[in-house]
Amino acid sequence: MSTFDQVITTDEWENTDISLLETLDHVLNRGLVIAGEITISVADIDLIFIGLNVLLSSVETAQEVLRKRHEIL
Amino acid sequence: MKLYAYCLAEGLDTPPNTPGISGAPIKLIQVEDISILVSDAEMDLVPVTPENALAHAAVVRSILDQTTPLPFRFGTLVTAEQLQNYIAAQKPALKSKLAHVRGCVEMNVKIIQQSTGSEDIDEVIPRGPGTAFLVEKRREILGDERRASDAAELSTFLHQSLAGLIKDEQIILRPAERLVLAAAYLVERLTIQAYREKIAKTIGDRPELHFLVSGPWPPYSFANIELEFKTHFGVT
Repeated sequence: MSTFDQVITTDEWENTDISLLETLDHVLNRGLVIAGEITISVADIDLIFIGLNVLLSSVETAQEVLRKRHEIL
Repeated sequence: MKLYAYCLAEGLDTPPNTPGISGAPIKLIQVEDISILVSDAEMDLVPVTPENALAHAAVVRSILDQTTPLPFRFGTLVTAEQLQNYIAAQKPALKSKLAHVRGCVEMNVKIIQQSTGSEDIDEVIPRGPGTAFLVEKRREILGDERRASDAAELSTFLHQSLAGLIKDEQIILRPAERLVLAAAYLVERLTIQAYREKIAKTIGDRPELHFLVSGPWPPYSFANIELEFKTHFGVT
């Protein structure tokens, strides 16, 4: 199964952009977390897909995880 | 040396050939009957770059044809000991999650609205600053209520359209935003085609909406992260 052939959009966006966005949404925003062990850097991020809030919410979620981690430790 | 963890799975004998973060080869760690895909990581921080995120996704996806993995979130760096302790401590919950997603994939639907809808509430011409404030407040309240109602209606509409084809669902409603609904459905592999046909019909039934439909995905949305916080630290 390819990452990029499974997206259908009824809008005008390019499917490759949406596929990348969808992949980022899943990878950054969801999945099992071993508490305290997420160490990601959001610096130098140059792939923000402005206009949708999916990726922004992903970054917010990452920051929330980091904030919880600091509160816990 | 830390390990970058990609996913858990059942029934894996060999690691995939797909390269991991920074091109590192994937290794298979077996803890009792749970397989974990990892790679060596000579870093303390994993930069969020398209390459790294896609590498993570590619490794998890590479075993989707063989089994249904339970993905870790991007950026999971652990020592071998921490990983062993995590599996040992969480084994019942992890086995339960693996059983829940077994034979399934995740399918996603997002609905994007053209506007947030606050601008087309009935117009009243303000006669003074006080009236203008009250009119604006009224528009705001009516808009919030209508948007919440519309978003809930969309969720119900999708749920009813897909009845019998979904094993579980995770719905996020954001009535005030353009991305008004994000739904993740856990679908049995055997019913993917039926699901797709139903989704196609659903899209056709609502031409006024913009749909973004994707899948199959590993079940990222069905790995409950809150459980770990509660279990490890007793906090929510």
